[in-house]
Amino acid sequence: MRPLARRAATKKGGDPAAVDTGILVNVAFYASVSIIFAVLALGFNLQWGYTGLFNAGIAGFFLLGAYTAAIVTTPLDPPTIVGGVVIVPGHLGGFSLPFAFGAIMAMVVSGLAAVLIAIPTLRLRADYLAIATLAFSEIIRRITTNLDTVTGGTNGITKIPRLITFDPPNPFANAMVVLGAGAALVLAAFLVLSFIEESPWGRVLRAVREDEVATMALGKNTLLFKIEAFGIGGALMGLAGALFTLTIPYLEPSNFAPALTFSIWVIVIVGGAGNNRGAILGAFLIYGMEWASVILKDYVPTAFKNTIFYTRLMIIGVLLIVLIIYRPQGLLPEKRRVLK
Amino acid sequence: MSAAYPLGPNAILEVREIEKSFGGIRAVDRCSLVVAPRSVTGLIGPNGAGKSTLFNIISGLYRPDGGEIWFGGVRIDGLPPYGIVRLGLAKTWQIPHELKKLTVLENLVLAAKDHRGESLVNLFFNPSGIRKDERRLREQARSILALTQLSNLAHEEASSLSGGQKKLLELARVLMTEPALVLLDEPVAGVNPTLAASLMDLIEQLRQGGTTFFLIEHDMNVVMKRCDTVIVMHQGRKIAEGPPDAVRKDPVVIDSYLGG
Repeated sequence: MRPLARRAATKKGGDPAAVDTGILVNVAFYASVSIIFAVLALGFNLQWGYTGLFNAGIAGFFLLGAYTAAIVTTPLDPPTIVGGVVIVPGHLGGFSLPFAFGAIMAMVVSGLAAVLIAIPTLRLRADYLAIATLAFSEIIRRITTNLDTVTGGTNGITKIPRLITFDPPNPFANAMVVLGAGAALVLAAFLVLSFIEESPWGRVLRAVREDEVATMALGKNTLLFKIEAFGIGGALMGLAGALFTLTIPYLEPSNFAPALTFSIWVIVIVGGAGNNRGAILGAFLIYGMEWASVILKDYVPTAFKNTIFYTRLMIIGVLLIVLIIYRPQGLLPEKRRVLK
Repeated sequence: MSAAYPLGPNAILEVREIEKSFGGIRAVDRCSLVVAPRSVTGLIGPNGAGKSTLFNIISGLYRPDGGEIWFGGVRIDGLPPYGIVRLGLAKTWQIPHELKKLTVLENLVLAAKDHRGESLVNLFFNPSGIRKDERRLREQARSILALTQLSNLAHEEASSLSGGQKKLLELARVLMTEPALVLLDEPVAGVNPTLAASLMDLIEQLRQGGTTFFLIEHDMNVVMKRCDTVIVMHQGRKIAEGPPDAVRKDPVVIDSYLGG
């Protein structure tokens, strides 16, 4: 996502008024991407923070959602053939359906994928689950790279329509629409999650996390609860994928490398596992550091310019170590529930 | 085979020729026994006799290599642990398995059967039913906490309890499943004598209310005073059975377990 962040951050306006909205467009972009990370973190928090299922394939479920939404919403993109040679493979699609369909389909596809992965792997111990899901996400990414008639291969999917098309193009209005849609969806996800996680159903998830065998010996079909939590978490990652197509209307497989999964772990660990507010706060903080390093690049001395990205990685590393030593429960720890 | 002692068909639990090996070790070796309804039945034997393994097999946590287990007319070997609990057979752990980050009260409410709020569909379509269940089960949990002297710890995280309190929590939690038969794996080990006595009083009181208890215990005072029937296991088999006094005088038992 770095080059894209950079592109948005370095966009320059002509007249003074345009410069002003340019800053706002930048901030809105930062918030929109943070929201995508927040939705991913909410999904992972349900799986790991609440249920103890360590998903190492977040990027894979995110990819499935993004590609599903893109294929559902884009207009026809036929292959470009010059002299019998396929120059651009095009991709599956041409449905041109509204974003809402794209988002729902993204959730269904990613959620179903999560359930299908869950059935054989959730019987495994935590470390094997991590290995299996990491492999899944890389397999999905390789397939996406090579199945170019469906996904556009390394050319990716372009021409993803905006939620609202402004004529003439208005970056500020567009940024506000994207941010508004993202804010509404992350709020909805947060409210639904808070409701189901604080219910008796969520209590069983926390029990599974603490001690699965004991929970089973208290009469709970723990496998069923794990599949449900994993599936809903996967569906949220799919929703994040759909949001991604709104924010950055261009998809390519390299956006979905395992490094993205690791970022979500950092977000949830820093924010506080088992706390949804923490997951959202963590997303804004961790992506904020990335964004700030992109912005600051234009203002720091030349000598420092080339090292600023590595400095950010160092700061995140040190922050993580300090946090795990002094505040392992994260910035916003899990609450103790007092039942009246 | 299915022994007629003590009540034959009146058994609430019948273990028939159960076998279980771990690697080359025969932990349970064609063990057969019967537990009478409304009894407090003790299971004793030296370390490694296969007592805890047998409990884990009965409660479905281990799959036996052979044999059958019948509980109240239903064959339960092969059923998953949660299915067996739902039939009314629950067990406590020798080493407490408290759900650490849940409060004591949450540990209890979780153990209840048939909470409608544990179904995702009900969450959205039957909120009033869920509230009703939650209220009722919290009430029930509170009365069990009062019975087990844990009321003042209701809102503490289970991890903060002492060893003895965790043993009480084990019993309290299992009672929430409304069991007909409770397997207790060393219920008073590590519990101070006063608390142990009141815990055994509670078990007696619950037995009079109709619950059956089958317990592993090394404290011979408890076993001799509190059990109606004592079963002795040695090297994976039942070697003796009978009223406590008779078992205490059995030369085979003295030789293998109680000592001279």
